[in-house]
Amino acid sequence: MDQPKEQTSKGHTRTRSAVKVNPNGGAPLASTNLTLSPQLQPPCLYGRIIHALTLSAATRPRSSTKGPLDVDDVPLTSPGPLSPQQAQRMALPTQPRSPGPTSPLPRSAAQSPVPRRPAPRPKDFSFLLRPENYHPLTPLNVPAAFRSDPSKQPTPETPIPDLLARGQFRAAAIAATNALTGPDAPAPSDHARIFSLLYTRLACLTLIDGTSIAAQEVKALEDLNSVVYVDEATGEHLVPWELRVLNVRLQALGFGDPRRAVMSYYDLAREARARLAAATAKHDNSARELWKDRLADVGVRVAGALVEMDDLTGAAHHLGSLPAREGGKLAMAKALLWLHLGDVGAARRCVKVEEAGETAGKVVDALCDMADGEYEAALARWGELKDESEDEMIGVNMAVCLLYVGRMQEGKALLEELVTAGRSSHTLLFNLTTMYELCTERARSLKVKLSERVAAMDESANGWEKSNADFKL
Amino acid sequence: MSHQRYPSHDAAAKEPHSVSLKVLRLSRPSLVTQFPLQSPLSELSSASAGARQPLAPASLAYSPAPIHNNGDHPTATIADTNPAPFVLSPIVNLPPSFGSAYVGETFSCTLCASHDALNLLPPDQDELSPSDPARSIRDVRIKAEMKTPGAGAPVTQLELGPGVVSEKGVDLAPGETLQRIVDFDLKEEGNHVLAVTVSYYEATDVSGRTRTFRKLYQFICKASLIVRTKAGPLSVGREGQRRWVLEAQLENCGEDAMRLERVVMDLEEGLGYTDCNWEAAGTNRPLLHPGEAEQVCFVVEEKVGGDGRVQERAVEEDGRVVFGVLGIGWRGEMGNRGFLSTGRLGTRHIKPKVAV
Repeated sequence: MDQPKEQTSKGHTRTRSAVKVNPNGGAPLASTNLTLSPQLQPPCLYGRIIHALTLSAATRPRSSTKGPLDVDDVPLTSPGPLSPQQAQRMALPTQPRSPGPTSPLPRSAAQSPVPRRPAPRPKDFSFLLRPENYHPLTPLNVPAAFRSDPSKQPTPETPIPDLLARGQFRAAAIAATNALTGPDAPAPSDHARIFSLLYTRLACLTLIDGTSIAAQEVKALEDLNSVVYVDEATGEHLVPWELRVLNVRLQALGFGDPRRAVMSYYDLAREARARLAAATAKHDNSARELWKDRLADVGVRVAGALVEMDDLTGAAHHLGSLPAREGGKLAMAKALLWLHLGDVGAARRCVKVEEAGETAGKVVDALCDMADGEYEAALARWGELKDESEDEMIGVNMAVCLLYVGRMQEGKALLEELVTAGRSSHTLLFNLTTMYELCTERARSLKVKLSERVAAMDESANGWEKSNADFKL
Repeated sequence: MSHQRYPSHDAAAKEPHSVSLKVLRLSRPSLVTQFPLQSPLSELSSASAGARQPLAPASLAYSPAPIHNNGDHPTATIADTNPAPFVLSPIVNLPPSFGSAYVGETFSCTLCASHDALNLLPPDQDELSPSDPARSIRDVRIKAEMKTPGAGAPVTQLELGPGVVSEKGVDLAPGETLQRIVDFDLKEEGNHVLAVTVSYYEATDVSGRTRTFRKLYQFICKASLIVRTKAGPLSVGREGQRRWVLEAQLENCGEDAMRLERVVMDLEEGLGYTDCNWEAAGTNRPLLHPGEAEQVCFVVEEKVGGDGRVQERAVEEDGRVVFGVLGIGWRGEMGNRGFLSTGRLGTRHIKPKVAV
């Protein structure tokens, strides 16, 4: 990934009130209809993003940013750190307006931004400890089978690492909130503990189908680029990398501005690149590997963000610009994207040209056969692969193929086998319950039985507790 | 699929059937999305120090490692086929819903007739008790037809697949399913009705009877592509052959992106054409998002034989030169195919200008 131009990242503030509202609902500027005028299309993705940013910048002058995170916004008369009430009051004006039909008026364009002069005082993250930031989680969408076995029910005393190791993500999310807001809450300056708990909370929410809740709760963090999150002594960011990465997608969802994710990933990429350069200069090999990994990771996530905003061509272009590493993963990603786009030929070429690894090549071939409607041929390929590997994906895809060739009974039996072997991915359960629905008018009892079988499985970090939606209950 | 259930045809309509019919539209399976994230740990490494944590297995679309791994995955086992942290994974889901049906697509649907003993029980009972009478189900047959929106609601008998299916009925043990697949090329906009008739012989220890029921599944087929064409004369070619330019705008009026695969002309005798589009230009096939349009262009001309003479004059009807039809093929998500051809295209005959 190339270094994006400097000005592209600075338009990222917490004043979302003026986010671009696309009247077409969703189609981002970066992928507006350029089909009839290909000469308008910049030659590379960076060009496209910058183009889009320039457009949005033209309609949205930078507004001054005010909120609890700007240290200098504290009135001079206020000597100590912000009280939660103050923080809340100050947070109010920055609450995002939902992107409605009103035109995004440039707000406070005349005001000049308040100059920032960070004052050296202990950091105060008490605004993240407020109970009202966090939503209650209901057990109602969990099948009864997961609530009945007393030996698997967590107690309020169960430590969070145990909950995570047992795949009790809902309980872990609740425990994280309790730890943040309860009587033993960390000190407002204990950033390591606060961010660790917050990451646990948000990550667990995304694992239990609670991404929309997480996208609301993440708003409390406001702008992670703010000076509040920087250690003034060392200049280092106080928020762990993992949380910053997760924050990007969740805030983009929460504020309904998917392109924001692309910008924010580029911010992270720039930092990773700088850290990589620093580590290389210091001959610190482990740090170098770490930042290299992180840079590559962010690069792939940009493509994911583009897919999420339905700019599939942009995503394909972007993936094409990334250097191949990690044993053919990138080739697989490209092939899947082309398949998703419906270009089977391009998908096949991806795994032929590049060193994707033998299995990956066979997997893509089988998927391509399915995309071509050649289910018998695909079935034969999945059958071969299944003899070689215990991969859950191969079994599930083979079972799906069996249904398409009119052998659902065998497909169902194969999925049942996978459950018996202890697999329980959302996809496996979804496909199996769909087959149940095809077999009987009274699929409910079969689904309940399946939920009981899954609940009887050993708890593991793969995730134990499932939701009603997983069983279509 | 919006469907209406009609009462079955036999007299004992009130009595529930011991065979149930369920259908699923077989659009292409879809790649499952995943949002991989780092394992949440109670004490995270700070931004600068520590080794890279593996991705949380629960955030991946499927588990590649053998299950006896106790959840403590080293990074290596997560790699293999999963392109994480990429958002798409190679595992596929069955179609979650009926979706939209478009002109030009092939409508595929699976029909499942199952011996559903539970069907006869009261709604609150989920298990068969030994006292329930054992019934055997024999000679199950499925018939399917499609009513299309044309005048007089024409009905097409559908062939049952997969492969060649014998006319003979099938006996079903309890819990067994007879699965068939039908394909139908959607050519018209509007209301379609898939009508499925199931007949079977139900035998108890003492008696037996043939029963039949029919279910109707109604759906709307929408336009996928709007094609606007314009033809105009070009100057006469070197050999005196007449030439025309045919332009067409293809607009995606569906709700999903489509990748145009080919545009071809199927011309009348004596005409040839030159493609001036992406294949000629060597560029990528255009991707049309909903509402987007692509302009294509062809040069149509009378064929010139080896002797340098115009072989045949183009067919003219009522002062119109008829070219032929334009065919457009595309692929949707996961390669779902579509193909559409226009009506016969042509242009008014204008006296050819003499080439300079």
